[in-house]
Amino acid sequence: MFVAQSSWLGYGTGAYAFQSPAYFVLFNDPYDGSSKPNVHVNPAFAPNERISLVEFSDWTSYVNGFNLFNDFNVTINVSKSSWSGLEATYTRPGLVVHKFVDISASGHVIVRLEATREIVAHIEMWKWLMTSINGFTIKTAPKPMLVPITRMINFTFKDQTLLAPGYGSIELSRVPTQIEVWPFEGGFNRVTVDFINSEITFTISGAAADIQQKFPIWSYTDLPYVLPLISITVVSVYLLVEHYGKKSKDHTRRSRS
Amino acid sequence: MERRVKITLAALAVRLAIAPFFMHSGDMESIYESSRIALSGGNLYDFVYQQTLQMQHASGLPIFFEGYAYHPLLIYFFIPFYWLFTLIAGTSPVFIGGHYPSLPVLIYPWAPLAIMMLKIPIILADVAIVYVLAGSDIKKAKNYAFCPYIIFISVVWGMFDAIVAVFLLLSYLMFTKKSHFLSGLSFGLSLMKLYTVVLLPLFVIRLFGRWRELGEFLLGLLITLVPVAYYLAVSPVAFWNVLVIFQGTRVMGGVNLYNFIWIVPDVHFDLQVSVIPSILLLFGMAYVLLKYGRKLPLLEAMLAIMLLSFLFGKVLNEQFLVSIFPLILLCKECDRRLWVAPFAFIFLRSPFYFFAIPILWASPYFYDFYFQADMVWKSLQTAGYLLMPMYAVGIAFSLLLLHDLLQVLKAPRSKLV
Repeated sequence: MFVAQSSWLGYGTGAYAFQSPAYFVLFNDPYDGSSKPNVHVNPAFAPNERISLVEFSDWTSYVNGFNLFNDFNVTINVSKSSWSGLEATYTRPGLVVHKFVDISASGHVIVRLEATREIVAHIEMWKWLMTSINGFTIKTAPKPMLVPITRMINFTFKDQTLLAPGYGSIELSRVPTQIEVWPFEGGFNRVTVDFINSEITFTISGAAADIQQKFPIWSYTDLPYVLPLISITVVSVYLLVEHYGKKSKDHTRRSRS
Repeated sequence: MERRVKITLAALAVRLAIAPFFMHSGDMESIYESSRIALSGGNLYDFVYQQTLQMQHASGLPIFFEGYAYHPLLIYFFIPFYWLFTLIAGTSPVFIGGHYPSLPVLIYPWAPLAIMMLKIPIILADVAIVYVLAGSDIKKAKNYAFCPYIIFISVVWGMFDAIVAVFLLLSYLMFTKKSHFLSGLSFGLSLMKLYTVVLLPLFVIRLFGRWRELGEFLLGLLITLVPVAYYLAVSPVAFWNVLVIFQGTRVMGGVNLYNFIWIVPDVHFDLQVSVIPSILLLFGMAYVLLKYGRKLPLLEAMLAIMLLSFLFGKVLNEQFLVSIFPLILLCKECDRRLWVAPFAFIFLRSPFYFFAIPILWASPYFYDFYFQADMVWKSLQTAGYLLMPMYAVGIAFSLLLLHDLLQVLKAPRSKLV
């Protein structure tokens, strides 16, 4: 099977993209500098579809009261130690924060924040739209609401293109100080995490459920062989008919003579 | 086994082996979408018309949704195969949003199967042409069966011009055998794409004065037009807009002299200028019909009209030549290598994803590679490197068409059939 080992691809615009077997990660959207990063999932049944799972927004995130987008200088580099790693360094007088994006051993996307000292951080993660977060729906949380503190944020969604239900989870390595969900129209469009620490790791995973009928006989990986097999069968039948047809013709001719 | 069957089976095998792995996303999406709508009892023309109205409202421009703009009968060739597909795969959509310029989302494992099923009528048409041609000349059948251009249009892209071709060929053969009813019926079926309608005056002129034969021909033709009458009755505005106004007000261009217009980004101006080739076509048609319509042998007369319509018709897409390719192979005066120009044009004009799906979209990695390759492709196209070759190929093809047209007009005169 021809599967390439993907690596971060940098563009002249300052954007970086990475494709793993199940996730597509965009860092620094070329149009507005958002998506730091934007983690997309590739559904197994639609490999060329990219469903945005979670977008980390620097525009609306803060460290020690400073906005990550406007109040820091950012440099982005592909990691020299990890083929799948990307490092963004945020600097301002007296403070350096590193944001590492990588793929975990289990194949999920890791976003790790590391600071030179303890920080008070407010991180916003956006998704249009989550139908539920940790069991809360728009009915149970019609206004912005703090939800019970936990290290695991589970959410569900319904993709509007594929009309497929899906789920995602964000696992935190540290206990946050608060988690808040933000309703928007029919669901939630963001979840915010506040923490006080010098480092924290977000592990993001998710999938879209297969809404298609299951293939009854073979798996899709066999499909590329089906048509060539039909072709070979057609040619084989032809050869057999030609071979035995000739014999039968000869036999008929001999019987007549 | 006789050679005729051999070559037919070989043509079938080649086509089946390629069919599931490639598609022209716009055209296949259009047939797929139309099959879905028709099978669920919807009105195709109302759907396309609504899309057009939305586009025109949003843009304020006289632009059209390029969906099902064909003879109503066409979809009935595809529906049985789409229905068979739904028996296996269910009715959930497997192509989502493939109308140019958006990229379609393909649902695996079903997309390759759907593509193969929807190409079966086209493959059958191709194979039928090979079988018919092999009846007279094996070499001509081989030329059709293994022509890269024909294979590309029919089974790589999945365009149905081969269905037009088989009925046009049958119409010609039936006419020469004096089965005028069947000839008219076949000709009516060849109108799946409307560009063969230019042949109608030729048939009428050749049968003029032989009223019984003309009546039989027109009766056969009228039978195929019954669904047209139905749609004209139930949704006249939508049907007229989709079939006549859309086709009549397309911006000129394609593998012809007129594709220079693509560098002028003014739709209103482009549409006004596009009237000029139509005027040339009308005068050319009148001249050839009156001077040569009854004098030339039928094959040469049909080819003269079609070549003229390709030369002066304002739109000449890459696939149109397929419709007359069997007739070209039967004609001594025509050059069978005419296909090289439209085949080359395919690679100059098409966006990269017309060659990449579904085979290169079966995994996220391939899809990622597609984007990287597409960036190079687009940079070549937007930098203008492909515009001059496109224009050169358009001019070259027009000159070749003119050459063949002049050769055909020199064909020895024959007794009227």
